[in-house]
Amino acid sequence: MTSTIEVTNLSKHFGKVNAVNDVSFTVAENKIYGLLGRNGAGKTTLMQLLTGQEFASSGTISLFGQPPVENAKVLQNTCFIKESQRYPEDFRPKDVFKTAPWFFANWDQEFADRLIADFRLPLDRRIKKLSRGQLSSIGVIVGLASRAPLTFFDEPYLGLDAVARQIFYDRLLEDYANHPRTVILSTHLIDEVSNLLEHVLVIDEGKLLINEDAETLRNRATNVVGMKTAVEAFIGNREVLHRDGIGGLSSVTVAGLSESERRDAHAAGLELSPVSLQQLIIQLTRTETKEFEASA
Amino acid sequence: MTTTTALAQPASPLKRITNVAKLHFANPWTTLGLPWIILGVIFVGMLTVWWLIYSAIDESARESALEGTQFSGSSFFIYIYMMVVAIQAISITFPFALGYGVTRRDYYLGSALAFVALAVIYTAGLTIISVAETMTGGWGMGVTIFAPVYFGAGIVERIFVQFVAFLFFLFFGSAIAAVWVRWKATGVTMFFIVVAALLVGLIALATFTDSWVAIGATLVDLGVTGVAAWSLVLTAISGVAGFTLLRRATPRNAA
Repeated sequence: MTSTIEVTNLSKHFGKVNAVNDVSFTVAENKIYGLLGRNGAGKTTLMQLLTGQEFASSGTISLFGQPPVENAKVLQNTCFIKESQRYPEDFRPKDVFKTAPWFFANWDQEFADRLIADFRLPLDRRIKKLSRGQLSSIGVIVGLASRAPLTFFDEPYLGLDAVARQIFYDRLLEDYANHPRTVILSTHLIDEVSNLLEHVLVIDEGKLLINEDAETLRNRATNVVGMKTAVEAFIGNREVLHRDGIGGLSSVTVAGLSESERRDAHAAGLELSPVSLQQLIIQLTRTETKEFEASA
Repeated sequence: MTTTTALAQPASPLKRITNVAKLHFANPWTTLGLPWIILGVIFVGMLTVWWLIYSAIDESARESALEGTQFSGSSFFIYIYMMVVAIQAISITFPFALGYGVTRRDYYLGSALAFVALAVIYTAGLTIISVAETMTGGWGMGVTIFAPVYFGAGIVERIFVQFVAFLFFLFFGSAIAAVWVRWKATGVTMFFIVVAALLVGLIALATFTDSWVAIGATLVDLGVTGVAAWSLVLTAISGVAGFTLLRRATPRNAA
């Protein structure tokens, strides 16, 4: 398998703040990655480092086998759509779509036109007069229609309504099926995108906490619900990620269960339900933080 | 499954640079539209004022009044405005272009190309207007608006001086923009403090060494063309400084 990105011991400090702290990972070609984490976790800094917009304090980055900083050969295969992307003020959306093809060799104008219609974006209005959602849709359209072999979306949909977000997800999947490429999507709306993601990277306080296949991650935990005594008897000394209870009822999140264990649980009258990716990540990051604090 | 999205054939360096240059003209309002409109408004305003003066004073006073228009500064605005255009163009398109995967090097060279193009366009435009001014005998009233004495006597000299002046203001502006992109308001404030200190230092140096007479004589010796030619040194310094600063700049949100 070819890796599009290889990152080794990457760190970025701003003064005393470790925005990215000794991170290593690889990104496989033509997969959709989720880069998840809380505000200020270092997601944007990491993506800026990967696209050569920031300079690393230490460590190495390789994109398509080469360092990205000031490397036109590598960078012209990337497209980075930021939440806070600023456009020249006197530009109208149509100026953005006129200039974008100059920089993206794979630009598909037909696809762009379709997206413009989908998002009902007014082409002739000045950028500064657009709503937050309309501004976001410009970024989303450029990111999709550019078909860059490596596309970064950093919280691309601030202000987009649910319908528009769904359009984004649908078009991304559709176009990705026909034109596979590597996509890195950073977002807070984990549950909304969880079906899209093939691989998940979770970053917290500059450190990489989780780097796992989405499917494996989803199977990593199950909710066990039932009478408190039955639940306690079932879990024994299994790893418990989260525990909730009201009166005699108990709900416990435990690490992945095998088929026979599932049968045992059903036999004991317990209910099993999958844990959403969002819940799982919240719980995992919490435990890891606790462990981290305990070891500190 | 269809084929993998192929890596783009590397665009030629020249193509990448001209694409950035084109970016500055994608919406020509700031770079080409507004300056001419303001210039037009100033022109009409000046003509009106002169027409009033022309009608109000009698024949004998007219000549000396019109002589004063030789020192008209009405077209000066366009040079300062070009500096503002350069600052705006860079501070706005830099983060935008980097999102498009443009390197800082290509970005700066492309912008420099766009600025040279602007200098050519504005020099050509002003030259045409100044020729019209001469041909119409100062718009029928002997007024000087676009061909003041500062820019030299002949048309060739005027073209050279104007072109070089545009280059200076555009590249000085791009250096300021690079300081802004890299260090935001703090940087620009520091920059102007340093520039002001340098100027005061030079003035002090000239005063204490009693060199003002010598400086004046040198300037007269150099003539308009000579002074303009020497400004190319400052333009080059601004250009190199802008390039050096921008190559380590990162696109962050406005402070």
